[in-house]
Amino acid sequence: MLPVLTDFIRALRASNVRVSPAETMDAAAAIEVTGFADKALLRDALSQVLAKSPLEKADFEACFERFFTFEESSLDSKEQPATDLDTAPSQAPDTSQTQTPGGGEGDGQSLLEMLNAGDTASLEMAISNAASEVGVSNIRLFTQRGVFTRRILEELGIDAVEDALFGRSEIEDIDLDRLRAARDSLFEDVRNLVDRQLVLYASNAWPELREEILEKVPLARVEQRDFRFMQQLVRKLAKRLVALYSRRRRVARRGQLDVRGTIRKNIEYDGLMFDLVWRRTKVDRPKVIAVCDVSGSVANVARFLLMFLYSITEVIPNVRAFAFSNDIGEVTTLFETKPVEEAINQALFDHGRGSTDYGTALAGLANLTLDDIDHRTTVLILGDARSNYGDPGHAALRKIHERARRVLWLNPEPKSFWNTGDSEMRRLGSACDRVEVCRSIKHLERLVSELLRTAI
Amino acid sequence: MSAQPSPANSARDAIVALQTRFEKTGYISNDSIATAVYLSQQLDKPVLVEGPPGVGKTELARATAEILEKDLIRLQCYEGLDEGKALYEWQYGKQLLYTQVLKEKLGDLMQGAEGLKASIDRLHEFDDTFFNEEFLEPRPLLKALWSDGGSVLLIDEIDKSDQEFEAFLLEILQDYQVSIPEIGTIAAKHRPIVFLTSNNTRELGDALKRRCIHLYIPFPDAKLEQRIVESRAPEVDAALRTQLVTFVQALRELDLKKVPAVSETIDWARALLLLHSNSLDAALVRETLNLLLKFQDDIDAVNSEIPTLVRTAQKSV
Repeated sequence: MLPVLTDFIRALRASNVRVSPAETMDAAAAIEVTGFADKALLRDALSQVLAKSPLEKADFEACFERFFTFEESSLDSKEQPATDLDTAPSQAPDTSQTQTPGGGEGDGQSLLEMLNAGDTASLEMAISNAASEVGVSNIRLFTQRGVFTRRILEELGIDAVEDALFGRSEIEDIDLDRLRAARDSLFEDVRNLVDRQLVLYASNAWPELREEILEKVPLARVEQRDFRFMQQLVRKLAKRLVALYSRRRRVARRGQLDVRGTIRKNIEYDGLMFDLVWRRTKVDRPKVIAVCDVSGSVANVARFLLMFLYSITEVIPNVRAFAFSNDIGEVTTLFETKPVEEAINQALFDHGRGSTDYGTALAGLANLTLDDIDHRTTVLILGDARSNYGDPGHAALRKIHERARRVLWLNPEPKSFWNTGDSEMRRLGSACDRVEVCRSIKHLERLVSELLRTAI
Repeated sequence: MSAQPSPANSARDAIVALQTRFEKTGYISNDSIATAVYLSQQLDKPVLVEGPPGVGKTELARATAEILEKDLIRLQCYEGLDEGKALYEWQYGKQLLYTQVLKEKLGDLMQGAEGLKASIDRLHEFDDTFFNEEFLEPRPLLKALWSDGGSVLLIDEIDKSDQEFEAFLLEILQDYQVSIPEIGTIAAKHRPIVFLTSNNTRELGDALKRRCIHLYIPFPDAKLEQRIVESRAPEVDAALRTQLVTFVQALRELDLKKVPAVSETIDWARALLLLHSNSLDAALVRETLNLLLKFQDDIDAVNSEIPTLVRTAQKSV
């Protein structure tokens, strides 16, 4: 029964459930206990051993249904010839013979016979044997459907049937019309089988590819139809980052004795120093103030930056979010109360009109937040630093910089465009700890990951 | 598999038997919960129980201990929990005391030993006196390994502990043994049945998840919840029970900061019993809503919906 399990695990992996070899062995042990007969029991048991989060459990359920409904029907048909001992053993060697070139003739005969006799049970078995011979579970893309269908048919010995149909065979007593109909339905069966396998093993290949591409595409060039997908991607990214870094951590510094701590801890032992206490640093959850330019010049990117801000505010507690084009406004409460789409549209509508004025915006930011900024705050500014030849506001930013732990500027323009025209990146950059290009989801992930890791 | 004629049937029977035994202790389980407990016994693996707060994760361990008639050993996790509090600690005080006593006996011991070398050799005969199991103060994990006849070990709210502690648990979860540097490896006398619970405040490590059977307990459906209320507050009559369960289930559909848990349904049922009410009405619900909802925002949000919710609840009988 183990081949069934390994196939199932492959199908699971294809539909986004991560399964390790150790878990595969657990599953085999679980099946020893439960058997295959009770489907509900099997599902519960395998789900507990293989799927380890609510999300994976949902994927598991879907995959289990797809896999075992198919598996059941083929099992049924397998059982029929098994009771009829004469046909079953004669089938198996037939299909294995096809591997050797000489066996083709006899095999074609048997397929002919099967088609002629309308023996669906053995036919189905032959199909599923041929399918596993061809390795149909390796199918990845829908364009491979034709190839696999053809290979299975060849494995079955379709050539002999075709020969017979076109009168190139010596066998005479064949009802050609019936054979043609039987052949067509065989085609249909094999095609269905391949389709089912495709759904089973490759349902995730396309989204994965798309994800990979979209992660690298510059944000400004993402198309309208991909927005929803991007949203999921951004969410996933934010969740991953937060799962990694949202906890307060303590880092022990071996080598630096905490004398007072040691004395306090060892009072109970008469002041004898048994237990040494080392100095520790507490790595706090970062306190973030995120500011996003939503003016016309960065309109395309602003959507995603806001989306990212939204996801972050959802999962980290201490984030204040601001949006501006000339006047700055806080959008924290908006993000907390409204669903993502609505919140972003609202933010763009409230703050996205008018031309950029970094001077007013940064002065406004200093006004609103300076009291809240302390040595633990990270200020994150997303914008292109194009101030329409007005005051870039670097004085206000410097004030913020003096108080904050650090100021990070993420610029969606490529580096070669900085300081050209009305871009004030150099002057503004002088009041930042770091200035980075942030053009794609990949950039964003790397930057924020760094931000969270080193936030002390 | 051919040796056992029908593993499915025997497994199914065992699981149904487990469920009835759970029910006798007052814990109403469903198929998947019973399957998890059964599997953990068969495969010798710990169970990681996840789910929203108040669905009976901790209670599952208690009920299991009760039906298997084993001790329940509980380890509550929190930030900063370390092996000194979870596994073992040396009894330094006792060691000190013994040293003092020994000092006086030292003269007697050394009698007849000629020269330094002979004395040291003689001392070496006693070298392991202070670091053996005598001086070990067992904490929950070690207690579970040492207990005669096995035990049920509950590691509660593992997500509250640090990542380091999680890694430290791996040895116990996989091999049911611990390494103590001064002594060596201590293996379990009888393998304990281990439950870990998590409220998912953080993502647990893959290594930990891999070693466990993963059981997710969601909020129960109306039918199951009625049975739970029936078993926990048997005096509540059937009509009221249906009404209040329908009401709570409807509350869970709303957008609330914290939806009421099963334990809160039970509390509410008991409160309604004390107030001698036989059926729900809007005024009663409004007065007792603070038993179900623990945020003022939630109470305000629900307030306007109460008449509709009560009406549907009344219709459900």
